[in-house]
Amino acid sequence: MYPPNMKSIRFVFALISVIGLAVSGCQRSGTQDTRTLTLAINSGVEGDALKQAAKDYEQQTGIHINIAEFPYTNLFEKELIDLNARTGAYDLIMLDDPWFPKFTSLNVLTDLTPLLQKRGKSGPDDDFVATSLALGREPYQTGALYALPYVGNSQLFFYRKDLFQKHNLKEPATWDEVLTAAKTISENETSGAPGGGKVYGYVMRAAQGNAAVADFMPIFWAFGGEMFDASGQPTVNTAEGIAALKLMIELGKYAPPGYASFNADEVGAHLLQGTAAMSINWPAWISSFSDPSKSKVMGKMEFGQLPAAKNPGRAEIGNWLIAIPRDAKNIEAAVDFLLWATNREQMKLSAQRGNPPTRKSLFTDPELVAKFPSYPAQLRSLESSRPRPRTPLWNEIENAFGIYLSKANSGELTAEDAMNQANAEIKRIIDRSK
Amino acid sequence: MKDTSASYLRPHPTPLPKGEGVRGSDRTIAYLLIAPTIAVLLALTIYPLIYSIKVSFQSNSGTATLQNFTRLFTDQFFLSALSHTFVYAAIALTVEFQLGLVLALLLDSRIRARNVWRTLLLVPIMLPPVVVGVVWRLMLNSNFGAVNGTLKSFGVTTDGLTWTASPKLAMASVIIADVWQWTPFMFLILLAGLQAIPREPYEAALTDGSSAWQTFRHVTLPLLKPAILIALLLRTMDLLRVFDHIFILTEGGPGLATETLGLYIYRTAFRFSNFGYAAAMSFVLLLITNIISAGYIRLLQTRET
Repeated sequence: MYPPNMKSIRFVFALISVIGLAVSGCQRSGTQDTRTLTLAINSGVEGDALKQAAKDYEQQTGIHINIAEFPYTNLFEKELIDLNARTGAYDLIMLDDPWFPKFTSLNVLTDLTPLLQKRGKSGPDDDFVATSLALGREPYQTGALYALPYVGNSQLFFYRKDLFQKHNLKEPATWDEVLTAAKTISENETSGAPGGGKVYGYVMRAAQGNAAVADFMPIFWAFGGEMFDASGQPTVNTAEGIAALKLMIELGKYAPPGYASFNADEVGAHLLQGTAAMSINWPAWISSFSDPSKSKVMGKMEFGQLPAAKNPGRAEIGNWLIAIPRDAKNIEAAVDFLLWATNREQMKLSAQRGNPPTRKSLFTDPELVAKFPSYPAQLRSLESSRPRPRTPLWNEIENAFGIYLSKANSGELTAEDAMNQANAEIKRIIDRSK
Repeated sequence: MKDTSASYLRPHPTPLPKGEGVRGSDRTIAYLLIAPTIAVLLALTIYPLIYSIKVSFQSNSGTATLQNFTRLFTDQFFLSALSHTFVYAAIALTVEFQLGLVLALLLDSRIRARNVWRTLLLVPIMLPPVVVGVVWRLMLNSNFGAVNGTLKSFGVTTDGLTWTASPKLAMASVIIADVWQWTPFMFLILLAGLQAIPREPYEAALTDGSSAWQTFRHVTLPLLKPAILIALLLRTMDLLRVFDHIFILTEGGPGLATETLGLYIYRTAFRFSNFGYAAAMSFVLLLITNIISAGYIRLLQTRET
């Protein structure tokens, strides 16, 4: 070995720092042009309408719009990391409503009210559905406005009206009636599916995580369950909560085997193939049922309201919001785009492209109702819907809760044990964050 | 005649004066050539490593704490993920090794169309693990999947066979997918090892009248040891940090049945944004992987004695 020569060592360090500078230089040389906006969008049906609207806006105004598209789970990570690191990478972001409390707790979104006032508006107009608009405020419903709702999803109860008529069943209004109908259909339709197979009475998503929780919450609420008491302590293991989980497991007996690992795809497939008769599902699936290339049950599916129990049935809301990061490079232009995209005229155009709106007047618009006959049902569901518990810890709580729901549905735990363990785990999550 | 032609073979009588063997400009070029590698290494490996050590000793609000490490011992989700990781790695490694060895021995012998077999066997490795996950997810679907469909056509009742949805079969399902994809990798390394063994020891064994089993046990196996250890080492490291196809197949479920450390670390960091705890768990995984790898490497080094 030759002893290294100092000159070359210095050279190497100089080189490294030059490369370093070049790399950081690239990062900072992004255009500061006020004629450019960058949007973070969910890649999937929920993001498609906004993507098309962005293209229209570009043509109309000449403002260049960069679209950064990410799949659902990556979108959250990406936005959280970029906003937290204050990179200013995005001027507008699409948010799934349960993520919203996390972002406001980090104080990374722009308060929209002063910006609206600057444009001569005292606030968002009252055509927005109240339950949708409430999601973009922190605290919920009453606080400052950080986001406007764009995709107006809430759950509906899907059921096969032909089978209900055949077996003299009336539209399911309570969960007990759902259970009876599931039993009747499962027992009688052993070869009633389009391919000659069995029709299962009920189908649901019970894979751990978001899926199981979303399909359980409407039952839980109807039975009188609440996730937290007034002081914020978890209360999932009350008698009401356990009874709700027992009903879910009972319904599982009439569901296709393996439902404890089902996600949206499996549930959708069963309904479209005609091998399952009822399900809680989202409006995005409605159009598939009248598409002959996908549906074997054309014209047979009805989209109704969530069944009741002790309490009236209420759907879980699942809206997509649009917000402006606090460190966005181009806040003024972003506000202009946001107001344009959420105005009645543009939202109607998006609705025609398949996006469920968040404005009352569009759900009752005759032209749209003619094209989407389920709009009145969607509006009823949306107006009576509930958000998931609003906490920045929701992702972690939902994960833990979903694990125990899935364990109960796969038969690993009894309903009581699952709820007790879930309650203890949720309490640990909350205590840790203190 | 004096042997002058080979004088260059002899060592230099005296050490070279400084800077004479490799000229200064050559050395600069040498540093210049490795500089990009060093820069990339510093930026992509050393800096994140130091940063992750730092965050593992920080609470979510940024204060210094040991809480991320003490929580490891009481966190049921972590402990079950750790045990699932070991179960997964141990079973998959054993099955993959045995199948890989059998395949390598078969295809090292003179069977017909062996080049075709060899090529076909390598197909699974070329697929991205996500694709493998999706394919197996469809095949293992209990209602319209190919696996249950095939079993049914042989008259097997498939009522309880819900594979990825069953707490009992979910682990088996993800292991099957791993074995399907990575056995060929084992096979490839072992086959290369087999082909590097010289013929002479076999001829000697034949002359001494040893049986096929004796030849395998006392000739093939000892000579194949380095290849075996390298194959096991690489697969163990990979298995311990498994993520992709489990994420696609079961997302760790049902319940926690197939949640491995890799998945739990991902969830903690990117879903719950608790980077400190995720970093602490990553160090545990790193430590375990290092200890096991060190064991393999020691075994490798003792092969000469």
